[in-house]
Amino acid sequence: MYNFIYQAILAALLSSFSLALFSPLVTLRQVSYMGEALSHIAFAGIALALLLELNLQLTTLIFVVIVALAISWLSQKHKLQEANTITIFLSVSMALGIILISLKKGYSFDLESYLFGNVLLVSPAEIYQLVILALLDIFFISFFYKELFYLSYNAEMAKFYRLPVGLVNTIFMILLAANIVITLRAAGIILVSAQLILPAVTSFNLVKRLDYAILCSALIAILAASGGFALSWWLDIPTGANIVLLEFVLYLISLMFRRRQKIA
Amino acid sequence: MIEICSLSYNINRNIILEDINLTLTDGEFAALIGPNGAGKSTLIKLILGFLPLQTGAIYIEGIPHLEWLKEHSIGYLPQHEEFNRNFPTTAMEIVLMGLVRELHPGSRFKSIHRQRAMQALALTGIAHLANHQLGSLSGGELQRVFLARALVSDSKYLILDEPEASLDQPGVKSLFILLKDLNKAGKTILTISHDLNILSEYCSFLICLNRRLHCHTSAELVNAEIIHKTFGDTVRLIEKDY
Repeated sequence: MYNFIYQAILAALLSSFSLALFSPLVTLRQVSYMGEALSHIAFAGIALALLLELNLQLTTLIFVVIVALAISWLSQKHKLQEANTITIFLSVSMALGIILISLKKGYSFDLESYLFGNVLLVSPAEIYQLVILALLDIFFISFFYKELFYLSYNAEMAKFYRLPVGLVNTIFMILLAANIVITLRAAGIILVSAQLILPAVTSFNLVKRLDYAILCSALIAILAASGGFALSWWLDIPTGANIVLLEFVLYLISLMFRRRQKIA
Repeated sequence: MIEICSLSYNINRNIILEDINLTLTDGEFAALIGPNGAGKSTLIKLILGFLPLQTGAIYIEGIPHLEWLKEHSIGYLPQHEEFNRNFPTTAMEIVLMGLVRELHPGSRFKSIHRQRAMQALALTGIAHLANHQLGSLSGGELQRVFLARALVSDSKYLILDEPEASLDQPGVKSLFILLKDLNKAGKTILTISHDLNILSEYCSFLICLNRRLHCHTSAELVNAEIIHKTFGDTVRLIEKDY
């Protein structure tokens, strides 16, 4: 019983923490819409895995990574507006997912838990995946901090100054896709993008440095995940939704601090 | 020395540059003038490696420019730098960007880099703004931050795309005084500008471009005929006695 609870708490904390680490970068690079799209694109990956009876998480991860890189490549090479490319892939993936799910007749699948997330369904193996993901995120952001900082500031100038823009951008897209897919079970397709945006916008109301904003986002996520889990335990309501609502409350509180800072 | 040989460039069959042959010798303070759409920015973007060559070649110190750029840097001040005004960065961090190629991936700036960035900021007269948020600076102050970034690596070459944009008249004058001092100290400078009065006062060499090269000569030799040839009948020269 207690193992089961610890596992659920860990799932909530780790998934919120990983998404929050990426949150300031996603917001500054103005790819938050990409985060939302990838979570919906994951739906087609899940459907494909179910239809072909493949490993669900691995298939979804590969599918989402390929689509993320394709969006990035098409936007750069063919000068398509990134928002348009994302919209095309999002809609096509959702349509594909619906068709694939309908083809799998007679199969009962708990789609709701993927749409809204359920920390109680996270397995021990998925906890290990979340730990590895969090460590990879920490390593990537600390090692390539300078590169990510200038890439987020202005990609063209970062390239002019010989920063490895292509490499860092590719790893960023792969890890963003991995963050979305691996946290899906805990955070949910619908709610994952909120956890990619809210910690950052709250942090930027409180601090004016990217490194501080990343730390602040992680703290906000830990606070919201702990509070969200406690609320769901006492009130018997879904954890993912609680976390998002608590992050939103923290965002509203941060607005007051922002106003005070401006007055000061 | 920067040599441009038989350089042509077109976009969707529109000729932007046609058969440009030009040599910029070391120690020169050259200005690139011409009407809007003359290909001035395209020419400097080709030199800096932002755009790929189509026809012709560019050599820097006798080496194909892309090879040279792998090992060396050119100080560059863009005409307009796009950035999010809410981006959480200071003037100091933007100047440090000019030094990133000296660092390996994953390594951090050291105090020596910060000292150099501070010197560059002092050179452009805004050392007191080092820790100010970039988004809080005025257009003129931003221009000085970007100029400090172009200067911080102490490159032999400096290329500027309309540096007087966003500056008021005294600001333009002090900028060109600074550029002249840097030129006297040995820097080779190429600048795009529309202010012929200021150019004739400070630059040693004028390059008149309107898709084709109309002249590249000493600034003192540029006369009304050359200006009309470059700009067409759209300009009228008024001689003023200051």
